[in-house]
Amino acid sequence: MGDMKKTKADTLSSFLNNDNVVGHVFAAPFIFGFVCFSFIPICMSLYYAFTDYSLGSKMAVFVGLENFFKLFKDEVFLKSINKTLQYVFIAVPFKLTFALLVAFLLTRKSKMVTFYRSLYYVPSLVGGSVAVALVWKQLFARKGLFNSVLVNMGFEKINWFGSEALAIYPLILMAVWQFGSSMIIFAAGLKEIPTTYYEASEIDGANGFQRFFKITLPCLSPIILYNLIMQTISAFMTFTQAFVITGGGPNNATMLYALNVYNQAFKYNNMGYACAMSWVMLVVMSLITLVIFRTSKFWVFSESEG
Amino acid sequence: MKKKLVSLLMAMAMITGSLAGCGSQAENATADTQTDAPADANAAEAPAQTETKEEAPASDEPITLRMAWWGSQDRHDKTIAAIELYESLNPNVTIEYEYYSFDDYFTKLKTLVASDEVWDVFQLGGNFPMYLDKICPLDEYIASGVVDVSKISEANLKTTRETDGTQLGLTNGINTYGIAYDPAMFEEAGAELPKEDWTWEDYQKAADTITEKLGIFGSSTFLTSDFIAGCSTYIGQQGDLGQYSFFNLDLTGMGFDDPQMLTPFIQMRADMIKKGSYPDAGASAEVTNIENDFLVTGEAAMTWVAVNQFPTIYNVCADQGRELALAPLPKVTAGGNSGALIQSSQMLCVSQDSEHKEAAAAFISWFENDIDCNNILQAERGIPANEDVRAALSASATKGQQIMYDYVDSVSKNPTPKEYNVLSPDGQDQVQDNYLNYIQQVVSGEITAAEAAEKTYADAEAIFK
Repeated sequence: MGDMKKTKADTLSSFLNNDNVVGHVFAAPFIFGFVCFSFIPICMSLYYAFTDYSLGSKMAVFVGLENFFKLFKDEVFLKSINKTLQYVFIAVPFKLTFALLVAFLLTRKSKMVTFYRSLYYVPSLVGGSVAVALVWKQLFARKGLFNSVLVNMGFEKINWFGSEALAIYPLILMAVWQFGSSMIIFAAGLKEIPTTYYEASEIDGANGFQRFFKITLPCLSPIILYNLIMQTISAFMTFTQAFVITGGGPNNATMLYALNVYNQAFKYNNMGYACAMSWVMLVVMSLITLVIFRTSKFWVFSESEG
Repeated sequence: MKKKLVSLLMAMAMITGSLAGCGSQAENATADTQTDAPADANAAEAPAQTETKEEAPASDEPITLRMAWWGSQDRHDKTIAAIELYESLNPNVTIEYEYYSFDDYFTKLKTLVASDEVWDVFQLGGNFPMYLDKICPLDEYIASGVVDVSKISEANLKTTRETDGTQLGLTNGINTYGIAYDPAMFEEAGAELPKEDWTWEDYQKAADTITEKLGIFGSSTFLTSDFIAGCSTYIGQQGDLGQYSFFNLDLTGMGFDDPQMLTPFIQMRADMIKKGSYPDAGASAEVTNIENDFLVTGEAAMTWVAVNQFPTIYNVCADQGRELALAPLPKVTAGGNSGALIQSSQMLCVSQDSEHKEAAAAFISWFENDIDCNNILQAERGIPANEDVRAALSASATKGQQIMYDYVDSVSKNPTPKEYNVLSPDGQDQVQDNYLNYIQQVVSGEITAAEAAEKTYADAEAIFK
């Protein structure tokens, strides 16, 4: 009997020490969270996308593709796509350029570098918060800081949030301002570039610009690809700024996609319709990501393929 | 190539993961309310049927009631003080309260409706038809004497009754709309003061004059009330008394046929925005509640109020050394319908999800009928429906409150249609947002006022399809 017990205990402990089991046990909290709070809701939203469903009602009536047909006749939806694309295509390149520039400046060997890096990272830490969005709203208000500076310099006051053409730019500026996380990744990438390349080029007589465009950029291109994709995805999902600062106005000029989804789901009580919108967004974002990947072979330099 | 496939998969996972971030909000809300659950679970031990004679449950079992409302800071302070009084009178009752701004309140309520976790006592306005499933009717408690309605007139009870006669809640107060204005600004600009019979033309003229002379907005933004002012009131003011209304009486269709009846109002609004006598969308977005309305900050000479808001802003302006006055709504024609209707401001309801419906009903009865409680609340939610309470309050009314009482008295003497409906159908929010956007489009010249009217009518009609 004793032997039996011992072997049982042995099998149990060897089972527990198995790499696969250990891995799954440690991953369990994440798996649980992912399944309950991401995977199941995603599946539910796919079902609701084909129904007429609102949060209050208990019944979801199956309507087939009606939600999707309705989308393309919805003026606000079309405008929100338009505005979101404008937002993404302006904000992301500016943000990445800025992040790369700052990261490049902060690769110098100086004792203050870590301090400056932390300092420039701060906006990203507080960036998603409502508080900063409220500050932004005040800065660009009719009697806000920017306008009083303009007036003092002798210019006309600008009605940022009252003008359809201008209203989106403060939001874009706020996104660009939060360049910290891309900057950190760029900085890490810059450190990885072997100094021998630079030394060799220096001996060959390359100037700073040549070194940057011929060595730094190509070596950094995989990191740029990563940042580009991550930032594009997160830009598509911008919500807080539009919700807090402009509420989508004036005349839907800042009606970013995520805000429109939120309005349909929680304000207008069309949960089914909002789910359909989310899935259209998924398709659009996947397509754009795919395009970025497809084009990446033309500009991403990979050492292994070298 | 394999590396790329992996990274592609990673990116896909990232997208779906982040999209889920949006999608799972309802789930999060459920989780939120579940963290509250332990407190309720303890209370759930209490017998569901506590034997009650008067207001206070006779049982000493601890009961936790959850309550929520929306409103201004003034309302939050007063309501919390009233709740504390109730808790001191009923030591076994604990009230967990939450308060929100109007929009946030309904966002939260919708998530709670979805998860069957609606607060035991909650506040609802004219949009209650959306939430009928969640309202526990009070008839049973009125019959058993838990809820005392002896001092509330039939007319006032009727404001919170379903068409089939079910008593859904008790009204927090009687209310109506008006225009609050600063007479000193009118005089300074040389604009004509609002009269009993003033028209929308007079309103526009006064606003334009004030803007020209003083460089401020003649009229502050009506915010979402512009829909009530423009679509509901403006339509009701036309034709014979009670001939037209924006939606029909049983909220199953439109109450008028010709979209062009809306055009003059939209045209006026657009003209005023162009002229600068009414705030554009950017400026409107700066006003988030009545306490930072442009009238209060001194950047406008008049604004639209639900009159229960008047004493609050009257006091704030009095502190600045200004004295506000209250004028009736402008009319379409001087001798025409006033369009002003006496209605319930909001009501308190018991939720179907409540485990302590009777205790909740007892609280509501106390809240509406107790004189001490209403001395704290000071009619901030509207003029109390209970006659004794109203008498007690008007005896000690402040100047701002007295103006409100007089105004409501005078409005209630106006001829009103025999039957009317101030409720809003499910879906009105979207019509309202679109309406405000169409006005912006008229301002920018994208569409004409007539087209804006057609579009608003089509949007509203679409609710019923």
